[in-house]
This record gives sequence, C-alpha cells and structure tokens, in this order.
Amino acid sequence: MKIGAFIPELLRHLFKKPATVDYPFQKLEVPRDFRGSPYLRPELCIVCRACERDCPAEAIEITATNEAEKRFRMVIHNDRCIHCAQCVDSCPTDAMQMDTRFEISDYDRHNLKMEWEYVRAVVKPKSEPKTS
Amino acid sequence: MKFQIPIGPQHPALKEPISLRMTVEGEIIRDADLRLGYNHRGLEKLAEQKTWIQNIYLTERICGICSHSHTTCYVQGVEKLMEIEPPKRGQYIRYLVSELERVHSHLLWLGVAGHEAGFDSFFMYTWRDREIVMDILETISGNRVHYGINTIGGVRRDLDEQQVKHILDSLAILRERSEYYQHLGTNEPSFVARLAGVGYLSREDAIALCAVGPTVRASGVPMDVRKDDPYGIYGEVPFEVCTADTCDVLGRTVVRIKELFQCYNIIEYLLKNLPSGPVAVRAPRRAKPNEVVSRYEAPRGENIHYIKSNGTDKPERLKVRAPTLGNYAATIKMLKNGFIADVPLIFAAIDPCICCAERAVALVDARSGQERIISMNALKKLSRQVSAGNARKREAEWPL
Repeated sequence: MKIGAFIPELLRHLFKKPATVDYPFQKLEVPRDFRGSPYLRPELCIVCRACERDCPAEAIEITATNEAEKRFRMVIHNDRCIHCAQCVDSCPTDAMQMDTRFEISDYDRHNLKMEWEYVRAVVKPKSEPKTS
Repeated sequence: MKFQIPIGPQHPALKEPISLRMTVEGEIIRDADLRLGYNHRGLEKLAEQKTWIQNIYLTERICGICSHSHTTCYVQGVEKLMEIEPPKRGQYIRYLVSELERVHSHLLWLGVAGHEAGFDSFFMYTWRDREIVMDILETISGNRVHYGINTIGGVRRDLDEQQVKHILDSLAILRERSEYYQHLGTNEPSFVARLAGVGYLSREDAIALCAVGPTVRASGVPMDVRKDDPYGIYGEVPFEVCTADTCDVLGRTVVRIKELFQCYNIIEYLLKNLPSGPVAVRAPRRAKPNEVVSRYEAPRGENIHYIKSNGTDKPERLKVRAPTLGNYAATIKMLKNGFIADVPLIFAAIDPCICCAERAVALVDARSGQERIISMNALKKLSRQVSAGNARKREAEWPL
C-alpha cells in the first residue's frame, strides 16, 4: 500500500485560485429561476385569491377596502414567506412575480411587509388557475 | 464494573438532538439505548390542516438534505390518489433531480465520514466537489436546498439545451473526482484502518432488524426500492444495485462511492433520452376518499409515506417513515461490543437525520414511569374504539 495517497492532491491545490468570491464587494449572479421575494403587479390582479388560497405559509392577505369601488388591499408578509413561488404558479394573469433580490434581511420583521392598494383589474385570465 | 454514559441530547459528536445511553465496561459498550423525541415538530398533524398543494412545501421541509425525497414520495402518493399520471418529460426531470440529490447527499456523507475518522482534508475536498452538484441543482430549480421542483402532476420547471449541456459537462468533472475518491477511500491506509471492522452488522442481523439503504446493502443484501418495486421511470432505466460484504463502516463507504457512479450513469441516461412534451398536467383540487402507501429510495434508504384522503382538499392523515428510523434498531446492534470512540463513526455511518425520523409512538405510564411501545394491532383497536361512537368529520363528504 502506498503511504500518503493524498499528498500530490494537496500540493496541487497550493497553486489554485480560491473557489470563493470576495462577497460583499463582488456578487455572484443568481440563476435564471431564482426565487426571491414575491411582488404584485396591481394592474393585472383580478382578485381571484388563488395565491392567498395556495400560499403554504399564509403570507398573502387580500382584503376589500371599498366593495363599491372594487378597491382591494394586498399585504405580503415577507417575514412569513418561504420563497416557494407557488403564488406565481397559481396566478392566472401573471400578476404575481418573483424578484431576484437575496439580501433581504432586516432588523425588524414589520419592515418586511409589502402593501399594495389597487382597483381590481379587468383582465381575461390566460387560463384557469393551474391548480383550481 | 459497569457504568452508564449518556451522550446527547446535546453533544458535539452529534449534529442533531438525540439521546444515547450506553452501559460500558471499561472502554467497551455492552448495551445501548436510544431516546428520541427531542426534535418533534408536529409536522404530521400540521399536514392535516393544509391543502394538497401546501403540503408539498411542508413535506419538503421535513429534511434539508433529502428534501426532494420527501416531496417526491408525497407527490407520488397524491398522484395515485388523484388518479393522474405526470407526463414522461416531467417524470424524467423529477427523477433527474432525485439522482442529483443522491449524488449531493452521498458526497456530503463521504465528507462527514472523513471528518469523523479524523481525515479532514478528505472532508474539505468532497464538500468542495459537492458544490458542483449544488450548482447544477441551483441552475435547474433556482435554489440550492429546497428545490421546490415538484408539483402534483409533474414538475414546475423545464430544462433547456443549455442546462442539459451544463449538467453533462459538470458530470464529467464529478466522475473524474469520484474515481479519485474511490481510489483514495480504498487505498489510504490510515483511513481504511480507521473504518474497517467498525460497526459490524452481519447479513442476518441486517435483515432481522429491517435496516434500510446503504446500511443493509453494505451487509451484502441487494435491497433497493428502485429495483424491488420500481416507481416512476426506474423500470426503464438500466442501473445496478451496489453492495459490499464487509458489513462495516468501510463497506458503507464503498457502497456509497459505487452508488455515485450508478447515479452518474442514470443521470446521463435520463438526459440523453429526455422526451419532449409538457412537464406537468393539471391536478384536481380534491382527491377521492382512499389511502395509499408510497415508497421511495431516498439517499439514506427507503422512505415511506402513508396518505389517506377523505374527499376534501386536505389529507386526513399523512404518516412519514423516514429511513433513519428504520436504521435505529440496527445502530444499537452495531454499537454493542464496540468502543466508545467509535460511536460518532458508527452513528454517522447510517447518515442519521433526526429531524426526519422524529415521529415514534411510545407510551409512558405516568404513575409507574414504565415505558411501552404500542403494537400496530393494539393501536388499530384503540382507534376503532375511539371513533366508533363519533360522527364523521364535517367536511368528509365526497362532493361529486
């Protein structure tokens, strides 16, 4: 048996570049399908509530602020969000989207809340919600 | 003179909370006892309150390393309940991620084994090469750990030409590196000497104690759900079940390295024969009242999900039997007559995942302090007694 089978490998690595990057100064690009935080495009939302129903973390909340004017308010609790992007899959009109931010930590969980107030859009869904 | 030594629930040798009580004579362990329940999270109960879709992400979070195993096992079962069949391309991508996960889990385990054996350079190199697999998974699914690629009726993301090429290129590097680790793992004298003969589990014991996964395969039993009860596409994929007959930790290392090469072959086969077409079909929101048992060969062994539906959009019961739970009985056998110093190594060799396995049923008599494990038949009887007089669940009507 050979003694020290690992030594050539160890020596070779003395002359290699480090595998890590200089993080805060240099950032890696996120992959194409990266799941960041969800956001709403209110001009497309038809308030079908598919996202609210399918969200596994119960992070999406839609309430009616004015029934007569069809005004709604959506709150995304990013402190509860598990970044699964099920809301994007469930949305029939592409109103829910994922961004590519990954540095999203905060000192206060209430700062992570995102809010939109909007009038219900009249858009024809491309198809039925995928999971209905 | 006999001593009792407790290890855990919090101990540097263990990565997760579990309590071991060992009766020792000098350095030699004569008896071992496992205490579970330090990581119980009530996941199964939570699953009963969530819809079929929401539960995919819940089961994904049972475990970090084998997250895809749990969702696939769950989704397979739900698809059977809903009587839908995912399209071929969807299945190919699903099991492609399965095999990539197996590669990453085995490389991780090799590193842990190196670390527990005091061979830290091995640990660092295997973990560095594990990054290649993690990068592949990231490009396919978008995230490194919780891939979120499964959905009921198929997968959520498609593969394009560029990704296929990227995977095949990375696979060539991985194959080369794994060959090197195989050479190293079986030739480096100090490493081999540390692993050989430790944690002996004979073939008969492995079968009698229902060990699963690489633990049972290292005792010379070719048991693999992918071969014995092929699910998904495994009936049409050529691969071999890897075994070793040394029955010790070295055997378990060899089995895992051999399995790496099988994984590379499977991945290559899946990518070269990737059919075209859609990746998912639409799933209904409800499932007819029925029950199903879904089996899946996770990197650590056989994973079983039992799912019962009652006609609503929520499961009535979800029971998870993680592979680690199947290996506990064998671990106690392995620990007996070994040295205290071998405990971390033996324990690491089953690749324990406590958070997967925390769902045992044991009853403790509060008055006498006596503990008894309740049998399945007694449990069934008990459950019939309890539910005999009750009305059916309010939402349990099948609507169609």
